[in-house]
Amino acid sequence: MSETAGDAKPEVKQASKEVKESENVAEKYSAMTVSKNSEINMGELSSVFSSVPTHKPVKKQIQFVEEKQEFSRFPTKTGRRSLSRSISQSSTDSYSSAASYTDSSDDESSPRDKTQVNSKGSSDFCVKNIKQTEFGRREIEIAEQDMSALISLRKRAQSEKPLAGAKIVGCTHITAQTAVLIETLVALGAQCRWTACNIYSTQNEVAAALAERGVAVFAWKGESEDDFWWCIDRCVNTEGWQPNMILDDGGDLTHWVYKKYPNVFKKIRGIVEESVTGVHRLYQLSKAGKLCVPAMNVNDSVTKQKFDNLYCCRESILDGLKRTTDVMFGGKQVVVCGYGEVGKGCSAALKALGAVVYVTEIDPICGLQACMDGFRVVKLNEVIRLVDVIITCTGNKNVVTRDQLDRMKNGCIVCNMGHSNTEIDVASLRTPELTWERVRSQVDHVIWPDGKRVILLAEGRLLNLSCSTVPTFVLSITATTQALALIELYNAPEGRYKQDVYLLPKKMDEYVASLHLATFDAHLTELTDEQAKYLGLNKNGPFKPNYYRY
Amino acid sequence: MSVQVVAAKMAEVELKDVSAGKALPAESPVTPTSEDKTLARNEPQKEAGSSAAAATSPTAEPSAKAGEGNRGLLTPSAAKMPQASALKHSDPQQNGGDAFVNRDGTVAEAPRMKKKKIQFADQKQEFNKRPSKIGRRSLSRSISQSSTDSYSSAASYTDSSDDETSPRDKQQKNSKGNGDFCIKNIKQADFGRREIEIAEQEMPALMALRKRAQGEKPLAGAKVVGCTHITAQTAVLMETLSALGAQCRWAACNIYSTQNEVAAALAEGGFSVFAWKGESEDDFWWCIDRCVNVEGWQPNMILDDGGDLTHWIYKKYPNMFKKIKGIVEESVTGVHRLYQLSKAGKLCVPAMNVNDSVTKQKFDNLYCCRESILDGLKRTTDVMFGGKQVVVCGYGEVGKGCCAALKAMGSIVYVTEIDPICALQACMDGFRLVKLNEVIRQVDIVITCTGNKNVVVREHLDRMKNGCIVCNMGHSNTEIDVASLRTPELTWERVRSQVDHIIWPDAKRIVLLAEGRLLNLSCSTVPTFVLSITATTQALALIELYNAPEGRYKQDVYLLPKKMDEYVASLHLPTFDAHLTELTDEQAKYLGLNKNGPFKPNYYRY
Repeated sequence: MSETAGDAKPEVKQASKEVKESENVAEKYSAMTVSKNSEINMGELSSVFSSVPTHKPVKKQIQFVEEKQEFSRFPTKTGRRSLSRSISQSSTDSYSSAASYTDSSDDESSPRDKTQVNSKGSSDFCVKNIKQTEFGRREIEIAEQDMSALISLRKRAQSEKPLAGAKIVGCTHITAQTAVLIETLVALGAQCRWTACNIYSTQNEVAAALAERGVAVFAWKGESEDDFWWCIDRCVNTEGWQPNMILDDGGDLTHWVYKKYPNVFKKIRGIVEESVTGVHRLYQLSKAGKLCVPAMNVNDSVTKQKFDNLYCCRESILDGLKRTTDVMFGGKQVVVCGYGEVGKGCSAALKALGAVVYVTEIDPICGLQACMDGFRVVKLNEVIRLVDVIITCTGNKNVVTRDQLDRMKNGCIVCNMGHSNTEIDVASLRTPELTWERVRSQVDHVIWPDGKRVILLAEGRLLNLSCSTVPTFVLSITATTQALALIELYNAPEGRYKQDVYLLPKKMDEYVASLHLATFDAHLTELTDEQAKYLGLNKNGPFKPNYYRY
Repeated sequence: MSVQVVAAKMAEVELKDVSAGKALPAESPVTPTSEDKTLARNEPQKEAGSSAAAATSPTAEPSAKAGEGNRGLLTPSAAKMPQASALKHSDPQQNGGDAFVNRDGTVAEAPRMKKKKIQFADQKQEFNKRPSKIGRRSLSRSISQSSTDSYSSAASYTDSSDDETSPRDKQQKNSKGNGDFCIKNIKQADFGRREIEIAEQEMPALMALRKRAQGEKPLAGAKVVGCTHITAQTAVLMETLSALGAQCRWAACNIYSTQNEVAAALAEGGFSVFAWKGESEDDFWWCIDRCVNVEGWQPNMILDDGGDLTHWIYKKYPNMFKKIKGIVEESVTGVHRLYQLSKAGKLCVPAMNVNDSVTKQKFDNLYCCRESILDGLKRTTDVMFGGKQVVVCGYGEVGKGCCAALKAMGSIVYVTEIDPICALQACMDGFRLVKLNEVIRQVDIVITCTGNKNVVVREHLDRMKNGCIVCNMGHSNTEIDVASLRTPELTWERVRSQVDHIIWPDAKRIVLLAEGRLLNLSCSTVPTFVLSITATTQALALIELYNAPEGRYKQDVYLLPKKMDEYVASLHLPTFDAHLTELTDEQAKYLGLNKNGPFKPNYYRY
């Protein structure tokens, strides 16, 4: 695979196929959501209102403030449901990578009130403290180590500058990994203005390092709701500069531009959207006929999906459990609820450590897969009295109910790898007869009147986001996919992409994977001309039809 | 790697999935309701016991039924035909011999075969089977081929040449006096019945389907003409169809794969079966014609494997399609032909592609090969896997299965791949991704499963170390360039059936298995359980097509609706005593799903 990013453009024919695929997806999204939204909103709203930042931290100890973030973030955006474990959320809550060194309240004044200038005299940014640049630079350098794909993309495409002239406005988590992405885009010729898609996730020192390098960044850790929109507005609304590409995570930026500056869309060549939520919003727009530029759904690329779910969770289940409970897995009986990608990852990891794994499933096909992989498929009730660890990853609600919690044995560990905080009915445990005892950060003992203890991790929120880190390598996959999607949209000939939501062309997806193979010192075999002809394939891919299941 | 290859070939073809829209009402005849599921779950113990009972009852019933329907009308023609044909073809054996010499690229193989000892004749089957059809490429490891070459399951007890006359020349009648069939020897019926009963043990899904749907007879009035391998497993399928109300006429889709005793048992049970092991090319088409061309009986459903039957009707009896409600096609080849027809606008009835159902694909490739790689290697070479260095070429479903099995045995596994996504999967699963050249000198076993050609070439073979085992799990016989080994300086030594030692002038030996043909078909068996998945899928596809309201299916090729696919899987869960969880109403509402499925969107990758 020695082609450059430039070569990797798919044929027009391929693009037209993608349309069909995206239609399918659109259908699914619409089908999924219409029925769901109303009810979900209720649930999430209540949880959010009960923990609005203003009164929440007061009662609790300070160390718990962090843990409430998931409830309180985006208070106004509760109507929108986060459909999955978008990795993009991760940097918020994770133990280490997102924790700014410098988020101590050394400076209480709002960044909006300060005027700061970087060493080159530019002040077109708004960050916590420009002086933290050096810390931030170090963080970025560390991240670069594990993001070799982006670095090699930089090298390969630097001479042709495939993004020359691109004016990208971005709204993502601002972390060291994002910084590597932004600097790659700049190296490829783009101008970037950036803001945060989450009020808590910004690494202040990284933002400072970016500002120092001349990127117009508007973000700091702990923005208010008002700050959040102000930052987005500052990104978009600049004199003498109009964006022609949007890179979004969550759809807020798109939404803001759409509402406030619809004229901007005239110049925009495309939107690249990473998160499930944002993609969902785009499909809705597209369905309503209101999408006026092409959009690229990078969330559903094969590579990203596998890494976000299967590979990432396969490791974080062990990591999360070890960090919080120091449990030993050998011989333990574990039940994994749900055998989708996440469930497959969790089961495989636990089996490898010698645990006895049971699986529950509702879908007979996945159920049969579990059987063939050597797991007993049971109903939760049948094993609830035996198991030492319960892991939910169904994407569903109330999978573990009070009734089941009552029947667990002493010391049973309960955690959620699936979806937001709905899977375990934690609310049902907040009754007077049960005693809650916080034994560590993210670890609660819930004690029954008879002395039985159940160990609840992260209060039923996502274990992998709360108690484990997301490896940079996984974020590298996402960032590379985003960069390639931008290049593809920006360089696509007029007419290849209509006003619709597209999946990343398979060839680009394959290219993302190939850029990451170097990490493993993996040597890809190339087809001979004869073999390519025999298979009816192009030597450089795409190698599989769109419906291939991997 | 069938999926890949087919995919390549069919990239242009749009796979249409029926269940895409809301078009699929929940009222399919065998809708897996929740009560059904509970039933199934509670029943597994009973199942085993009752299957014996079920085995006897259905045979009795259809025989009475079919016998009644057919006797009057059909016997005369059956009596006439064999005589007519006898004039032309007195010796099928010789005929077959001509066939391979005459046509095709495998000509080189044919004469060689005659020189070899008889015990090897069997192994050449893959080359000579259906010689006239070589123009068409067998795109994959369709499991349907398997019964031909496998060690045990397809080997008829009774294929010894105890009876040299062609079945076409004989007049036979079953115990009920019905002669509307043509098989080797009706007296073998008892042997066949035993085979069928054994198969029934491992096909609980069909047995459960029989029981569940027997009351409603969802195929009442269906006249199914079928062309598949005639094995014990197929017999279970046919008897199930019959129990569900269908009338069946059957021919073999392969001239070698028929289990004569099973055909006898079926004929005895009243089925009109036209098949025997070792048909000639002419016999083959004669049998198909006898199936279709009957006075007073017109099929309204086609169950095909390979597309020959469809082709024959299409060419000879195009009017029949007026009455036909649908075609169910199992094989990659046949599906490919259907897509071509459909593309040309010539398909005049709906067709169901059961080959690409999720369940069938996973079982044919991943699960089946995961076991057969070990089985095949053990049977042929008795190799021990622990610590051995193995290179697996290709990391599709088959490659994934092989790697997982070998890793579990303690082998050191290397992978080669061309597709970066699959390559990354291999890396993440803990396999070293290499080019074949890099490891060729050190590996003990080379396994190909790419679906490609010339993956292992003479140059590689020259550099392998002494004793290296080379085998193919992928696709027909193209992956290893075996032809390049037929040079004077190399000595071939047949050490066992399916095992050749190739000896270099310096005495280095390479162990070549099955002469580069598919190891899992040649040196291992296909478990009945895997065939059960296919048969159940076929039965459900027939039911779906037959009962679909007018207009649901147009003149196009459809994938099995996901709901049916899920139903096939759910019917097989009792085997594992697996207990599926049911959604509560509240949970179903939350997920926006129907409690009974389908549970996943169409693009879900599993």
